[in-house]
Amino acid sequence: MIEKREALAKMFSAKGSKINTNRGAEYYDSLMETMKKRLNELEQTAAASKMSITSVLEAEGLDRRDFMKWASAACAALMLPASFTPLIAQAAELMNRVPVIWIELQDCAGNSEAILRSDAPTIDELILETISLEFNETLMAAAGHQAEEHLEEAMHTFKGKYLCVVEGSIPLGMDGLYGTIGAKAETFKDHLLRVAKDSAAVVAVGTCATFGGVPAASPNPTGAVGVQDVVKGKAIINIPACPANPANITGTILHFVLTGQVPELDHLNRPKFAFGYRIHDNCERRAHFDAGEFVEEWGDKGAQNNFCLYKMGCKGPMTFNNCSIVRYNSGTNWPIGAGHGCIGCSEPQFWDKYAQERPMADTHFKAPGGGVEKTVDEFGLGLLTAAGIGIGIHAAASVLAGKKEGDE
Amino acid sequence: MSYKKVQRMTGAMRINHWVVAISMIVAIVTGLYIGHPYYQSFIADPAVDKYVMAWNRLAHLIVAIIFDVSSIVVAYLYFFSRFEKPYKKLIPTFTNIKEFFDVLVNLITLNRVKKFDSSHADSFNAIFFFVFHMLLVWMLLTGLQMYVHGLASGMSSIGEWWPAMLHLATDWTVTVTGGTFMDVRISHHYTMYAIIAWIMFHVYYQVWRTIFWKEGDINIVVGGNKFIEE
Ligand code: SF4
Repeated sequence: MIEKREALAKMFSAKGSKINTNRGAEYYDSLMETMKKRLNELEQTAAASKMSITSVLEAEGLDRRDFMKWASAACAALMLPASFTPLIAQAAELMNRVPVIWIELQDCAGNSEAILRSDAPTIDELILETISLEFNETLMAAAGHQAEEHLEEAMHTFKGKYLCVVEGSIPLGMDGLYGTIGAKAETFKDHLLRVAKDSAAVVAVGTCATFGGVPAASPNPTGAVGVQDVVKGKAIINIPACPANPANITGTILHFVLTGQVPELDHLNRPKFAFGYRIHDNCERRAHFDAGEFVEEWGDKGAQNNFCLYKMGCKGPMTFNNCSIVRYNSGTNWPIGAGHGCIGCSEPQFWDKYAQERPMADTHFKAPGGGVEKTVDEFGLGLLTAAGIGIGIHAAASVLAGKKEGDE
Repeated sequence: MSYKKVQRMTGAMRINHWVVAISMIVAIVTGLYIGHPYYQSFIADPAVDKYVMAWNRLAHLIVAIIFDVSSIVVAYLYFFSRFEKPYKKLIPTFTNIKEFFDVLVNLITLNRVKKFDSSHADSFNAIFFFVFHMLLVWMLLTGLQMYVHGLASGMSSIGEWWPAMLHLATDWTVTVTGGTFMDVRISHHYTMYAIIAWIMFHVYYQVWRTIFWKEGDINIVVGGNKFIEE
């Protein structure tokens, strides 16, 4: 009942995806004041982690110039005027003041992997290395009771201050027993609720944590859901995609460091700076889309000429994300650039509804009312055939009846 | 046996009918292309000359706008037409319900029991067309929802009010259809088939009426009149 009411309320209050990139001098002046104040306060606090961005950069052979270049790019990504660049740089240096507790639920750890396993890490990724990761099941050395104690301690010390980053979906089936953690077999749901309770904000990273992702795909055996379906009454930031782009994670945390608040979000709680634009509108193959030049088959002439991937199932026209602008792996490439269509991984229910190698009209979806999976066109043609047969029968019967009457 | 001529559609109504009919065909032909480009453009042409998908989309959006305007006119006429106010036939009064079933029964029994006044638009007709207009409204809302995705910046050449209004008016279709932008597309596509089925039945029924009622019904949409036995 409550769920229904919530859905209804949401329906009429859905926030549009409008992005305001120029809010006027007054707004930015006051924003700058807030940020300066916040950064000063942060500077007073003790560093929670011994890693500092300067030492990490040095170790990687990057100089201050590279760092400042990154800062101005990050400033643009967050849709702030260029005058904010020094603040961004300062915030990145203060990243080690913000404690983060990163919990891992039902997932493949792909988001952690995306951040940590690159052989040429970007500054985004390096900055994530300097955040004060108080607890991370995948990375930390501690195990068992020791790990649990560690978590308790971190939660206690940084009560109300830490960011709770969640990776992975929450299985609710069988009372949550599909996923448990620790010696006392605490279910993922309880684990999440416990850690989220005293956090400053919850950041759901990756599509599993945001919308349930692959574990929640039909028939969803474990009853998997996203963080926002479990945690209520907390600021939740969703950073979907499979994996989430490290640039967007850094951007969100940066924003939190700068303002102490969550960035502006869209109707799915995704930061607008990253998920405000449609892939299709910033795609390098868009000219071919408009021209009607499509790849018809993997490896054909069209594919060799970088034609649009729409007919190979590209879901760029219905997916909001910034991959087409930010790209992955130090801006090297991204799926569409590499020749595969977008699978809509930052949208809810993407595995059931987006991730097919065919355009929407040819995709097998569950027909209305369930039953056999059909393409929309198959279903429609079935409907038309039925209508045609009905009309045919009626016409024939009318003619026959008319004849009989004539005979009489 | 003599026949009386009765007017059933004014000139404006007939023009509207054919504008809608042609728009419908254009919308279906271009819409199917947008959903799945079913012909290829000539590879030898440079992109700037052909622009095939863009033209299809342009045509689709233009007929959509014609539809929208015509729908608004029709909606207005439901209540304020000086000729005939269709909403009067939609109110479920006893007479209307009876008329609806009389016409339906006559259709099912192959014109055996024609006990209603066929000189004016009957309740069955009114409801049948009401269903059509509802389908069109649904196409309009889902279509505009997909359209506004391309206006992510919140700006448009006619001002910020336009995307803002579209979000306000159509965002709920996402929730209603299943929660994703894909569901809106699927619904838009399904509804097209419902509309084609509706057209098939509509054309058939008009021809059937002309043949079996013997009152020249097919002329309603051409000359505006039909004939009633006196
Ligand atoms: S490849 Fe995909 S995102 Fe790019 S233009 Fe084609 S359909 Fe749009």
